[in-house]
Amino acid sequence: MKAAQTPHKKEVPCVFGRPPQLPITKIIRLSAALLARHRRCSTPTAALSLPPRVCSLRPESLSCRLSTIYSWHFTGKTKLCSVDAAMATTKPRLSSFSRNLSAVSSSQTPGVKCGPNGTMFVSSGIADLDKILGGGFPLGSLVMVMEDAEAPHHMLLLRNFMSQGLVHGQPLLYASPSKDPRGFLGTLPSPASLKHDKSRDRESEQEKGLRIAWQYKKYMGENQPNFDSHRDNKQDYCNEFDLRKPLERHYFTRQRVNCVGIQDSKNLAALQEHCASFLAQHQRNDGSCALAGRIAIQSLCAPQCEHSNMDWEMLSFIKSLKGMVRSSNAVVVITFPPSLLSLSSTKRWQHMADTLLSVAAIPDEDKELAKLLSGYQDMVGLLNVHKVARLNTQVPLILEATTFSIKLQKRRFLVLECLNQAPVDGSSGSSYGTSGSCSGSSKAGTLDF
Amino acid sequence: MADTICRTLRDGGLEGEHAPALTIKDSKASPFGFDVFNYVLTQLSNYILAGKSQSRGLVVVAYSRSPSFYVDLLKRRGIDIASSHDWIHILDCYTDPLGWKNWLIDKDISQEASSLSSFCQDVRNLDKLYSLIIEQGKGLIGQGKDRFSIAIDSVSEMVRHASISSVAGILSNLRSHDQVSSIFWLLHSDLHEIKFTSVLEYLSSMVASVEPFNQAAFGQRVDLENLSMLEQNFRKGKFHVRFKRRNGRVRVMCEEILVELAGIKFTPVLSEDEIINQRLLPKVSIIVLS
Repeated sequence: MKAAQTPHKKEVPCVFGRPPQLPITKIIRLSAALLARHRRCSTPTAALSLPPRVCSLRPESLSCRLSTIYSWHFTGKTKLCSVDAAMATTKPRLSSFSRNLSAVSSSQTPGVKCGPNGTMFVSSGIADLDKILGGGFPLGSLVMVMEDAEAPHHMLLLRNFMSQGLVHGQPLLYASPSKDPRGFLGTLPSPASLKHDKSRDRESEQEKGLRIAWQYKKYMGENQPNFDSHRDNKQDYCNEFDLRKPLERHYFTRQRVNCVGIQDSKNLAALQEHCASFLAQHQRNDGSCALAGRIAIQSLCAPQCEHSNMDWEMLSFIKSLKGMVRSSNAVVVITFPPSLLSLSSTKRWQHMADTLLSVAAIPDEDKELAKLLSGYQDMVGLLNVHKVARLNTQVPLILEATTFSIKLQKRRFLVLECLNQAPVDGSSGSSYGTSGSCSGSSKAGTLDF
Repeated sequence: MADTICRTLRDGGLEGEHAPALTIKDSKASPFGFDVFNYVLTQLSNYILAGKSQSRGLVVVAYSRSPSFYVDLLKRRGIDIASSHDWIHILDCYTDPLGWKNWLIDKDISQEASSLSSFCQDVRNLDKLYSLIIEQGKGLIGQGKDRFSIAIDSVSEMVRHASISSVAGILSNLRSHDQVSSIFWLLHSDLHEIKFTSVLEYLSSMVASVEPFNQAAFGQRVDLENLSMLEQNFRKGKFHVRFKRRNGRVRVMCEEILVELAGIKFTPVLSEDEIINQRLLPKVSIIVLS
């Protein structure tokens, strides 16, 4: 099956009917590729035509699936006309697949930026994590972080997430199993001083030439032109936080910060009500975003909570929360320790997440690990990215790497780095496991010039 | 390494930080957990008496032994009991945990022990137990900003009368109390489901496990071939400790323990460290970026 070259001058990509053995997914992909190619034309119009008599796909199904790949605005009902009818049109007309330009324009809301496929992002508070995830946390998504019982790194992610929201003036709902949830606000980090931001930017720009860049740009460059335009506002979108400097109190009093304790309640009904009323204030209407909201729930299945034994209740809470957040301009981050859940519950929770991360501890004073990985001395833990939210699209985000080291620069600034193998000692004649490019010389002795 | 644990409990927690918590867990394969508990209790008492610790008092919540046992234990270790009124208090959850013997209060306990202890006659009500512990601790240290330590001789007994979530709740609340310097407890891991052990490991900052000296010999039939190995398990064991450090890293150490009449002895093991650390290596997939 191939795109037809019509007898008319104007090339209109058409997909003729398909042989019965061609899978539907191939049709979708080919259609999407053709439409994408046509999208780059100045007048992005396209007609997708299928001879109904040979196509077993229902037009509604096909159009719906194509529309999720590209957030193109549907003008009226989707019409799949016959090939002959498509050929007959001489003037370009706004078809079902016309681009909605307003969705691509930059967002005026502070702390929110537009991404591909009609999604909007808020920053996680960690610049490296935003890059890894393709822009940040999409509004309307559920982020889950699997804790490690031996390390508090999930708290670092939560702190940065909450601080970023408060700095941008975004309302925050925080739920915690501790006796005094509001006390946690005192541990939130403050944005680093401008001087350090500039010097770090310079350093990072210099380091870009030396370090291996993220490969994701190769994959996402065409579809995300907006990121380049936002580079100047990078500091505004994502601040760098100094973990040793507490956030100023005026951020708490000025904004609406609601803290909820979940230890003493018998079930999750109270928390669900809090979340529902919070999300009701951030309903998504006509695609605009007045103000984004953030919900942070720490250690949802903490053992001191009475609901920690109610597996199904917790699961139905997460499901209802996911449903509510999907139609709102908010992001929910939930952390939980999977070691305290049954295996089946853990799997179910993982499936519920749009974005799934996990943190892990690393052994201390481990000589073997120090030999294996460079920068071991500065590492405090590991971050794994298991799943990345992809809303309004069926195209997955395939990461070059899924495990990153968590480091604290100068014991203040949280950075994530790809794991790098330490230099192999060539004279020893041995190389580690999966080393690729250097392994060819592993058997050689000292270089002889 | 056991001394490292004791020093960590001695130093306590920083301002605004949860108190360090130690779980000592054993099983029937190597039932020396209580000996380790007594060792830690004795060491901490010495530190408190010498004024070297952050805490100025110790509250012992006695579930599985009577208060008299602890008094005798401290005497045998050469600790001054006469002046112990102002630094140690024993909460007796052993004599009458469910309030059945109200009229036997003064008959079973020696006079010396009764002056150091008070009764808890409803161990099912953990909120009340929490209040009792805090009240006794504040009674030892007064109204100032000093702190006290807590020892619970068996959370396995505690969970017999209360739910896991309420036990986790009281331990978490004790850890987060401003005036608690450190807390440690004993657990017999084979009496519980794995979930309860996981919960306690989640709540604690140090986990010390007592394991058989010869793992292979445990559970085997007794015959001449493995008799010597089994005999070793009766007196010796392995002591693994996992420290959760403040920077988020985990330190793992191992020692051998030898139980004698005089007490328990710890000897370092040099060759085990590398083996243990290898087990802890994360499964990292290293992707070579070409």
